[in-house]
Amino acid sequence: MADALITASGLTRFYDSGELKVAALDGVDLSIERGAYVVLAGRSGSGKTTLLNMLGGLDRPDSGALSIADQDLLSMSATDRAGFRLHHLGFVFQSYNLIRVLSARENVAYVLQLQGMDKKQRFALADQWLAKVELSGFENRRPDQMSGGQQQRVAVARALAANPDLVLADEPTANLDSHTGESLMALMRKLNEEQGTTFVIASHDPAVIASARTLITMQDGQISSVKVM
Amino acid sequence: MFSLAWRNMIRNARRSLLTVSAVALGLASLIFLWGFNDGVHNTMMRNLQQVIVGSIQVHADGFFHHPKLSKIVPDSGKVITLLHELGADNLAYRLRTFALAAGEETSEGLVLLGMNPDMEQAATRIAAKVDRGRFIGDNNEAACVLGKTTARNLGVNPGDDVVFLTEDRYGSLAAEKLKLVGIISSGEMGIDRGLAIIPLGFMQQMTGMDGKYSEIVVQLPKEQLEPVTAQLREKLGSAYEVLRWYDMYPMMKQWVELENAFYYIFLSIVLVIIAAGIMNTVLMSMLERIHEFGVMMALGCGRVRLAGMVVVESLLLGMAGVVAGVMVGLLLVHYFHGAGIDLSSQMDSIARFYLNPVIHTEIDTNHLLDTVLAVLAAAVVAAIWPAIRAARLEPVEAIHHV
Repeated sequence: MADALITASGLTRFYDSGELKVAALDGVDLSIERGAYVVLAGRSGSGKTTLLNMLGGLDRPDSGALSIADQDLLSMSATDRAGFRLHHLGFVFQSYNLIRVLSARENVAYVLQLQGMDKKQRFALADQWLAKVELSGFENRRPDQMSGGQQQRVAVARALAANPDLVLADEPTANLDSHTGESLMALMRKLNEEQGTTFVIASHDPAVIASARTLITMQDGQISSVKVM
Repeated sequence: MFSLAWRNMIRNARRSLLTVSAVALGLASLIFLWGFNDGVHNTMMRNLQQVIVGSIQVHADGFFHHPKLSKIVPDSGKVITLLHELGADNLAYRLRTFALAAGEETSEGLVLLGMNPDMEQAATRIAAKVDRGRFIGDNNEAACVLGKTTARNLGVNPGDDVVFLTEDRYGSLAAEKLKLVGIISSGEMGIDRGLAIIPLGFMQQMTGMDGKYSEIVVQLPKEQLEPVTAQLREKLGSAYEVLRWYDMYPMMKQWVELENAFYYIFLSIVLVIIAAGIMNTVLMSMLERIHEFGVMMALGCGRVRLAGMVVVESLLLGMAGVVAGVMVGLLLVHYFHGAGIDLSSQMDSIARFYLNPVIHTEIDTNHLLDTVLAVLAAAVVAAIWPAIRAARLEPVEAIHHV
């Protein structure tokens, strides 16, 4: 597929559980286009997070092939994968995972700093992104001075500030109340449409599932259905 | 990286403060001990030079190991001119030979040293070591000063006559009766026993060595010792021997070096303790942040950068400890440099080591720098294991670490 951002085939990942080997992923084939807004749905243990970890280069499959942005992730060293994540991927985690000693501005600017951008430029860009996620005025607040919803908005800004090809979000609304969760999803959907950034979101939250343009349902480590909404 | 490392350090301010305090206390103690050590050593070396030996002595080649009256400094005028050109103005000329000294009932072989009392005032402090009576006062008077052991052996006191028998320049016997004017009590056996000091002019006449000198003694500041020695050796050539104080009395320098070596062993032990304290803090800090490290790795922070951050945090702890430790340590050294540490109760034993009853602390810059750099190195070494552990984290496991 000419404009495919992600192509995966036969992704398999076993975990040892005592004497048993459990297949967290069992031969997953996947293709996601650039600019897509995909929700991975399924019950706990269905393999959503494991697949997300594979796509993020945080974990490696026992077998299969995976290419993102025309680069073979599985042939990369750990150092190269870190570099790939830095320049191509953004992450939004379930529990926000902001660096707690840094302010909102510094958290957003952290990835830009890792990319080597000078301080003035990265702080200006961070402020722009905080404005986009409606957090102007919160630039100097530390994570413990913000609500969960505000922290997750900072996390979204951090994920998008470096203009990645792909944003991976793992249960981004799990720790938010329903109103804040819906607001966050609206924001992410809006950014997807405005920026053209590809989003892959793992969640079993109905509000998140409702926001999907493509819904991939997983069961027992396999993709059971793919629906374009 | 420094900003993040600094904030991580103050994240658990109490723990960091305890570690910094421990490093500072250890370092301040080391600096104070160096101050005492260097104060003792420098006093010993200064006293050895200042009492009688001088910083440098110039002789005819071979004189020091085989002293003879006939081995005179070949061209003393040339040497003196050169010394003045090199800025070495505190100098004295001496004549040295062997003699037999006789009191009322006994006699004793000794070194007979002719000194110009005015010049010795500029070059040495031997006159200050006179315990009874006075030092020789005139360059031509028929007077002598003896060490206290020699005076006791000869059974003489100030005011008594002492007869000296020696050879003159022609090998003939020369004998003179001199008035004992003073007795030296230095605590140093080489001075208190077997030495008689008489006026240089008198001795030159007695031995027929008018205008001749066996040794030229120079007193120099420490930093001029090596360059002046090198210049003298180069310009005077092989007819002369130019000896530094430690060429003549190597035991003192070897003793100082040996003590310093022991001190470095002690320093190493303290450094291990400091490193263990820092490692404990850095490792705990690292283990508490495994989840955060996982997030940082997910965001694209490489393993080397992550390990570097751990090392920088450790280095910051070390640096904070160094700043505080150097300040406290130098304050202690400064205070006891002025107030001194009174060892007068140990006076009998310390005098023979050229020590003063009150030790004034002082610290050599090299020892201070060595110690500071060693503490900083210990901080880096202490971070190696935590840094390796951080670098070996797997992002996906680290993110899910609770």
